[in-house]
Amino acid sequence: MRELELYFGPQHLGMVGNFSITLKVEGDRILEATANPGYLHRGFEKLMEGRSWIKNFPMVCRINLVDPDHMEMIYAMGVEKLAGIEVPERAQFVRSIYLELARVSSHLFGLWAYANMLGFDTVSNWAMYHRDLVLDLFEELTGGRVYHIYVWPGGVRRDFPEGFTDRMVSTLHSIGGCVPDYDTTFFNNKLFSERARGVGVVSREEALAMGGVGQVIRATGMKYDVRKVDPYAAYDRVPWEVHTRDDGDAYSRICVVRDEMIESVHMIFNLIDAMPEGDVYNRVPNPLKWKIPAGEAYVRCESSRGELGLYLVSDGGEKPHRVHFRTPSYAHGLAILEKTLVGANIADVGNIMMSMYVVAPEIDR
Amino acid sequence: MTNPLGTRLDATFKGVELRSGVDGRLAVVVPREAIVPVLTFLKEDGYDYLQLISCVDWIDRGEFELVYLLSFYTEDEVGRDGGKQEVLLKATVPREQASAPTATGVFAIAEPHEREIHELYGIHFEGHPRLTPLFLDRDYEIPPFRKDFDTKQYVADVFDRVPPIDEEG
Repeated sequence: MRELELYFGPQHLGMVGNFSITLKVEGDRILEATANPGYLHRGFEKLMEGRSWIKNFPMVCRINLVDPDHMEMIYAMGVEKLAGIEVPERAQFVRSIYLELARVSSHLFGLWAYANMLGFDTVSNWAMYHRDLVLDLFEELTGGRVYHIYVWPGGVRRDFPEGFTDRMVSTLHSIGGCVPDYDTTFFNNKLFSERARGVGVVSREEALAMGGVGQVIRATGMKYDVRKVDPYAAYDRVPWEVHTRDDGDAYSRICVVRDEMIESVHMIFNLIDAMPEGDVYNRVPNPLKWKIPAGEAYVRCESSRGELGLYLVSDGGEKPHRVHFRTPSYAHGLAILEKTLVGANIADVGNIMMSMYVVAPEIDR
Repeated sequence: MTNPLGTRLDATFKGVELRSGVDGRLAVVVPREAIVPVLTFLKEDGYDYLQLISCVDWIDRGEFELVYLLSFYTEDEVGRDGGKQEVLLKATVPREQASAPTATGVFAIAEPHEREIHELYGIHFEGHPRLTPLFLDRDYEIPPFRKDFDTKQYVADVFDRVPPIDEEG
């Protein structure tokens, strides 16, 4: 049969995001896949070298539209480590609650994209609606719906407003009440499970060899989660579990996302109960003339798609010397995706890609 | 140096320099020829997770610094005190003759990282299977992430100019 070259994206119904894959196909079978990132390369890391430490905050969150809060967090962690700033205990709890809320919002967005791509429009509309409820909470807390710029070196910008935790709990309860509906319509729906089971299987060995993190390796049964392995914020102060599945296919990955979302909500309730009183902010030097001692730091956190790292170098000046993000989609969207697509059907390209939760802007940066 | 891994590295390889770590990591500086053997040694020693390959342009010293961040997959908390340390491996490359051996033979994930560094810093990785452009669409005289590439000047030169209107058309 004749080999054809097929462009999958950036303008393609099955492609979510500014990303493209060049496929070499024979009939319906993929022989070779080449990922083409770069549609969103804005050179943030270079631009950040030209701005003061604090002016980079509005920029760093824009690296990833789906989950901007972990970007703020990782940059704040890097700056704190270089400058030796302590964070008050209450701020650690506020950060954890905020980041778990961000994880719920991001997972709902991911569920929207995945369900929408597979044609489950009801589920995708529910997910978008529920994400909007979480965004309302963010708007109340920070003033912004998508980009919040809430985490700051030394803590967070402001404490929870009065009654905020009650409203948060009530919103999360109403979203949680819909989990059975999601299960019936999507996760336990035969139309979906038949479509996702056994598709895009990544074995544990393959995933580990290619730097896989997050759901991709947790779907192979490995309990690797930076929140447990290298705890930050207040994740070691409350009990919670890492959820895994064993099959390593698209279905396992999306089920890990589902379980994580529920775990995040439980974790938020526990964190609220255990949260101490006190300040949420430690003063930092005048941020407009802030010089940070020369040095380097590598910090990491568990973003909604897996391990997010930041390598930060200071030459002792008012601006960073080098900023380099290690994003989870970098491994998933380039190395692992190219390998997993070989042998798959054309109809499963979007399915496999979205089940790995690839977010193009964080590959390009 | 009391660190057992550091002692073994020092005994096995020539020219290895151990530095006080960054945030509990063991920092190892090696000559660029030793990058691949040291990475192989560390991988066999259980460092199966290459988190990042980064590059820093130290233009005053006339060299690039390649940084390899090595960790390991585990289900337990990484011991910061006393437990197995993560490793930060560094090698310098002169700006004039920017090339280094590829690590793709040891870690598959090195492939996109090295492609990116090749594109943004102009470092050639010998033996890399595809050093094709990853992100960029245009050609640049100076690779754009080098410190001597002036972003503002480039934007002014390329985008701020009003293209002349063709009177015929």
